[in-house]
Amino acid sequence: MTLAATDPEEITAATEDGTASAAPPARAHWFRRLLRDRAAALALLVLALIILGALLAPWIAPFDPALNSRSVMTPPAWSAMGESQYLLGTDGQGRDILSRLLYGSRLTLLIGFISVGLGGAIGSLIGLLSAFYAKLDPWVMRGVDILLSFPAILLGLALVAVMGQGIVPVIIALAVSSVPDCARIARGIAVGVMKQEFIEAGRAVGLSDLTLFSRYLLRNCISSIMIFISLRFGQVVLIGATLSFLGLGARPPTAELGMMASQGREFLLFAPHIAVIPSVLIFVIVLSANVAGDALRDVLDPRLQA
Amino acid sequence: MKPLVLEVESLTKHFPLGGGMFRKVKNVVQAVSDVSFTVAAGETLAIVGESGCGKSTTGRAIMRLLEPTAGSVKLDGEEITEMSPGKLQAARRNMQMVFQDPFGSLNPRMTVRETLMEPILLHGVASGERAQKWVTDLLKTVGLSEHHADRYPHEFSGGQRQRICIARALSTRPRLIVCDEPVSALDVSVQAQIVNLLQDLQQKLGLAYVFISHDLSVVRHIADRVAVMYLGRIVEQAPAEQLFADPRHPYTRALISAAPRPVPGLRTAVEAAEGDAPSALNPPSGCAFHPRCPLATAECSQARPELRQVGDGGALVACHHADEPAPVVLETAPPASATLSARLGVLAAARAAAAETAKA
Repeated sequence: MTLAATDPEEITAATEDGTASAAPPARAHWFRRLLRDRAAALALLVLALIILGALLAPWIAPFDPALNSRSVMTPPAWSAMGESQYLLGTDGQGRDILSRLLYGSRLTLLIGFISVGLGGAIGSLIGLLSAFYAKLDPWVMRGVDILLSFPAILLGLALVAVMGQGIVPVIIALAVSSVPDCARIARGIAVGVMKQEFIEAGRAVGLSDLTLFSRYLLRNCISSIMIFISLRFGQVVLIGATLSFLGLGARPPTAELGMMASQGREFLLFAPHIAVIPSVLIFVIVLSANVAGDALRDVLDPRLQA
Repeated sequence: MKPLVLEVESLTKHFPLGGGMFRKVKNVVQAVSDVSFTVAAGETLAIVGESGCGKSTTGRAIMRLLEPTAGSVKLDGEEITEMSPGKLQAARRNMQMVFQDPFGSLNPRMTVRETLMEPILLHGVASGERAQKWVTDLLKTVGLSEHHADRYPHEFSGGQRQRICIARALSTRPRLIVCDEPVSALDVSVQAQIVNLLQDLQQKLGLAYVFISHDLSVVRHIADRVAVMYLGRIVEQAPAEQLFADPRHPYTRALISAAPRPVPGLRTAVEAAEGDAPSALNPPSGCAFHPRCPLATAECSQARPELRQVGDGGALVACHHADEPAPVVLETAPPASATLSARLGVLAAARAAAAETAKA
């Protein structure tokens, strides 16, 4: 190897040649880049509409969700036997499905967001700390393993037995059951990040643990964790629906999507719309959350950009 | 004599193996044992050795990125190993590090400006406008330009990233930079640029370097003094020129003769040291190198040679046979083959022709 004596100016010149010497165009805002992805834009639009509908339910719902009418099991308005005032038909007790859907998604989303938010935040924090302080790791993760052995449904049953029927025990059960999953995923991601040299470089610069944790570890894990949480959101909505299907969640006549599906189950053969419509909505919510979460990762991670 | 920036004495780092929740520590990896050296301002001490010999561990123990098991590290006379976390954090201003992997040692979520700003603000080097100006100056110093500041690390090539790492290390105006294989992840032409950059900076700023490398040609170029490590211990330490001209330790000779040389037609040099490096878990008795050493005698397997002065050139050697004459055996280049001479002839003719046209 020969090392020709090079002066700094020459080095600079060599570098300049290799890269664009003009200042690059400013990067588009991440949200704009998110909307460039058509699937993500659609998923976000759908989610936004559903959330908007849920929020505005008291004003836009055509009927009281608990109001029984004489038109029982009317099919949706577009079918031959439909009635125009019941756009999506009525259920087995003559309640307007559209109104129940609006109110029901309210509760379903609320349960989903709160429990996944709580469980995800606590779980991720546990996982990240466990990776950051390697000494804590074996103890924390064994604790998480113990937590993992409680099935959400059993936990929900036990909590309902203690606290009585309602959405609070369901939220707690779902949050608690999200903690170990999130902790394990967060730890796995964080252990990979901790192995990289920039953590050591940060330490060499003299950063405090707090800065190192938040600016180096958390910032490099958060997008992957968010993906998992958005996937977990779908699961939680499903488990939540399962719990109310089992009669653990909201008390009737309050509407909840899982409960609506379970009530429609009896009439599946001659009035399928009663079970299918809320199920489709659950499906759409879960799918949109996953697609949007995925796209969000793509725009938030600078390494994934071309 | 320039003031000493770094004084390392009997630095030792052992890693317990096994251990964990319910297990007992079974074994100890003796990664670094009893390493001592000093580095003066404006001086470069290179630490060389094969992989696994404890070079990087030494570097990290100096920086206290790893807690040394024993020994003392003094930076400008101040003991580093016993500092409280708060004082250590402040002391980091004076010692910085450049890492091996330019792709892994920058936080991918921070722009270059944020990366450089961080130590500047943390150590109160400058603030506000002046800090911004300092970032621009730093980028220029390492051969990048101002508009690079708002980009992310993944937008740069390896050599550019290493420049950013060097800029980060310079940002606090340190006294000492520990370079842990700073060029081994780069390709050869870029290596030359980075090594020259490091040398220019040293001349300008009077930095002390601890330059960890396994590449002897780079070491020869940059180092003032060289310490050769084998299995966690320094086996020879000498001024660079002397070390390469007259290596006294058989391991140093093996290293030098094993290094590739850019001579056309040269076959592999003499037989390299036999066998693999022994395990640091269970180092051999006596001199750690004796199982592979051509000069080994019964004495070598019993008593470990201490590092001692050999000759009058300032070389320290840990070998019982350091005084025996044993020149480096380098294979002489074979006479150039007919084809090679023909090709070189064509090149020379082309060069001469080009020179002619340039003149005309």
